[in-house]
Amino acid sequence: MEDFLRNTGEKALEWARKRGVEAEAFLLQGRELSIEVIDGQVETFKEAEEAGLGLRVINQGRLGFVFTSDLSDQAVKQVVDDAISISRYTEADPHNCIPQGKYDYPVLEVYDPDIPAVSLEAKIELAREVERVARSSDARISIIERAGYEDSEFTNVIMNTNGIYASGRGNFCGIYVFLVAEEDGDAQNGFSVMMRKKYKDLDSGFTGREAADNALRALHARNISSAHLPCVMEPYVATRFLSLLAQMADAGMVQKGKSLFAGKLEQAVAAPVVNLVDDATWAGGIGTFPFDGEGVLSRRNTIIKDGILTGYLYDCYSASKAGVAPSGNGHRGSFRSLPSVGTSNFILQSGSLGPQELYADIEKGLYITEVMGMHTANPISGDFSVGAAGIMIEKGKLTYPVRGATIAGNLGEFFLDIEALGNDLRFFGGKAAPSIRLKSLSIAGE
Amino acid sequence: MLDKVILERVLEEALKKGGDFAEIYIEEKQSSNVFCEDNRIEKVNSGREKGAGIRVVKDGRTAYVYTSDLSEEGLMKAAAVVRHASANGKETHAIELSPKQPTFTISCKRLPESVSFDEKIEQVLAANKRARDVSDEIRQVTVAAGDLHKKVTIANSEGELAEDERTRIRVIVSTVAARDGIIQTGYESAGGVCGWELLEEIAFEDMAEKAARLAVNMLSARPAPAGRMPVVMSSQAGGTMVHEACGHGLEADLVQKGLSVYKDKIGEKVAADGVSVIDDATLDGKYGTFSFDDEGNYGQRTVLINDGILEQYMYDRLTAVKDGRDSTGNGRRESYQDKPIPRMSNTFIASGRDDPETIIKSTPSGLLVKKMGGGQVNTTNGDFVFDVQEAYMVEDGEVTYPVRGATLTGNGPRVLNSIDMVGKDLGFSIGVCGKDGQGVPVADAQPTIRIKELTVGGTAPASGPAKRRIRRV
Repeated sequence: MEDFLRNTGEKALEWARKRGVEAEAFLLQGRELSIEVIDGQVETFKEAEEAGLGLRVINQGRLGFVFTSDLSDQAVKQVVDDAISISRYTEADPHNCIPQGKYDYPVLEVYDPDIPAVSLEAKIELAREVERVARSSDARISIIERAGYEDSEFTNVIMNTNGIYASGRGNFCGIYVFLVAEEDGDAQNGFSVMMRKKYKDLDSGFTGREAADNALRALHARNISSAHLPCVMEPYVATRFLSLLAQMADAGMVQKGKSLFAGKLEQAVAAPVVNLVDDATWAGGIGTFPFDGEGVLSRRNTIIKDGILTGYLYDCYSASKAGVAPSGNGHRGSFRSLPSVGTSNFILQSGSLGPQELYADIEKGLYITEVMGMHTANPISGDFSVGAAGIMIEKGKLTYPVRGATIAGNLGEFFLDIEALGNDLRFFGGKAAPSIRLKSLSIAGE
Repeated sequence: MLDKVILERVLEEALKKGGDFAEIYIEEKQSSNVFCEDNRIEKVNSGREKGAGIRVVKDGRTAYVYTSDLSEEGLMKAAAVVRHASANGKETHAIELSPKQPTFTISCKRLPESVSFDEKIEQVLAANKRARDVSDEIRQVTVAAGDLHKKVTIANSEGELAEDERTRIRVIVSTVAARDGIIQTGYESAGGVCGWELLEEIAFEDMAEKAARLAVNMLSARPAPAGRMPVVMSSQAGGTMVHEACGHGLEADLVQKGLSVYKDKIGEKVAADGVSVIDDATLDGKYGTFSFDDEGNYGQRTVLINDGILEQYMYDRLTAVKDGRDSTGNGRRESYQDKPIPRMSNTFIASGRDDPETIIKSTPSGLLVKKMGGGQVNTTNGDFVFDVQEAYMVEDGEVTYPVRGATLTGNGPRVLNSIDMVGKDLGFSIGVCGKDGQGVPVADAQPTIRIKELTVGGTAPASGPAKRRIRRV
């Protein structure tokens, strides 16, 4: 497959050279498998393949981008012509660029041969096992909404008229279950998702039990009255806030004045206990790959050190604008779009306290296990006001479940208010965080 | 379009080892986008994509395969894979397709590809300028205009063959304003299932000015209070609330899985008197309009709640078979890469009799919501949370001052039961609704309504003596 993609890319670049423009071909071939089971039966089985080309040209500083899923010679030539004609409409910008460097890409373990080798039957059985464990863990588990197995494999090739050639093959797999627990007329949701680079690391027992536990602990949740309370957030909730932080650390957003972190370099933006890195070389990370979506060498970047903002995330464009080297954060979701700044493995480094120690001395507080509507938080103004559910902390102990609360504040204060971090670092996709303790949050209840 | 005979052959191949239903969905689409930020045209993109998805349903279970290879060979290969996945019987089934005519046509006067980039760019730049002219406090303006032209062919083992051509336009303006370290944002969008004649109906530049004024006005807003209070939702707020708090729970897949608060409630009172909720795919040119859904069923108008009584759920083919009834034409998918599931089209609370002004005047104190942001709902218990973009306090029936940072937290069924006034107006908003990882375009609407009591989340306590401005870093 790599040969076919390379040949296609070469044709595109050759035509672009003839027409006198700089160009970059991003080619992707992907395959995915998903199995969803209900009551031990396969409810949905899906197998899919796609391939495509995203072509970027820079025509005297003007940018053009066109994608296609048709990789025939004729279509590829048309794509180049279309991209050049589109480039007429955009404004010339000296920072429009494609990577120059000659990179020596590291050999990283990003492909697990077990994933394609394991039989379909075994994968179906794994999905069934997740459902079985979840269902049998407690009589109050009343509905398994869905349980399943998924894997995905891709080959990508990035080549440009500056001589960059990067190619790689990667894969990953995952299991999940979404369910409902019911008791005395109350119903609560629970879920668990596990994504791994290696098939053998999938743990159906853990996933099934965790989903069940999450739903059970929320049963008979009560509303609470409005207050300002110290809070502890589970790693999952903490990673949801990290996603907002990732947008704030995006150099593109910063340069456009759309981030709270604009102009804050070398200043304290978080509490001194906070250390944050983006590391595309982290062993076993879902976001680990030898190069980014523009073919720039992957590396580990420190974003926040001891609470001080030390750097932003850069793709080639924003790096050129800032006069720095690209950080390897040119992200590409598919062949259908231009690269933009994105994270690889975005990790809030853990502290030393056990999760229980984080709330052992809290007289009254909220242990937050779920947030709703995070996409409504505003990374520009920093204002957030999101729905929350969790468990009440009283005299250092978790007591009764809470629902229907709203937590509100400003992200600028939020990260400064982190008092302590747990030792329970956990990945959710490409974001990882431990449990975190916050001095105080505004909670709206009844 | 592919030859009918080839489609018949592919469907027969897919059903060779048995199955209750087979379908092929073929899509060819072209899209283009113009994007302006930082006072310049930053990106212009276009793309072409085609692909097919084939599914076989057997005993309610689905096997789905998709491919971007639309040759006969590629489709037959995909059909063989899907057949293998669903295999265990032996049946042969001769299929003869006959074309299905749409019940109404959607007009498109100016096809996306017939409008030059020059023209779209001119409009985008004019909108950008108008927004920036509003105030020196405007720090950033983003204007985007996009279009999509899609040709769809759907054929199934019941002999139905539906062909559809869809065009969609969407324009957005988002603004950022700053003053003394405080940053606020504004947002306006418009779109429809139509052609570029949309720009003759909406005033793109006025939209941009509105988005800019919103961001600037919110700079002077006080922090929203927190606590329970009456909430008046203006028709200008659009229908996010009805979509989230009610619509999702009326999708038949969630109902059948026991994940909806509206399960087993048909014929029961689920909303206050005077509250009707309708899903209507046939509204002219709206963002969620279609003549065929993505399974080849007719788009239709479905009354979900009639004067407080739950009448009907929204069905796709699979969930309809399960309940032994017909689909309501709500089977939709994001693309050929996805299986169809029950989705909303244009969903709204029907207009009532009250004068919108009177609704505000008769509210002693509370929150007036003029513009909603995003939202999220837990359909199992009906809990929701919404972001509010533009809101004002109401005191003694008068709109007093703007507040920012508010969210509305509540429970869908309880809110529908506590609507005590329904205005005679109706306002639409558009969006892309996500479910099971698939995004589909929708519109939603509501009249001005009053909710007796709702939890408002904010940063200032409702009972506190003074409204506190939160500290900024």
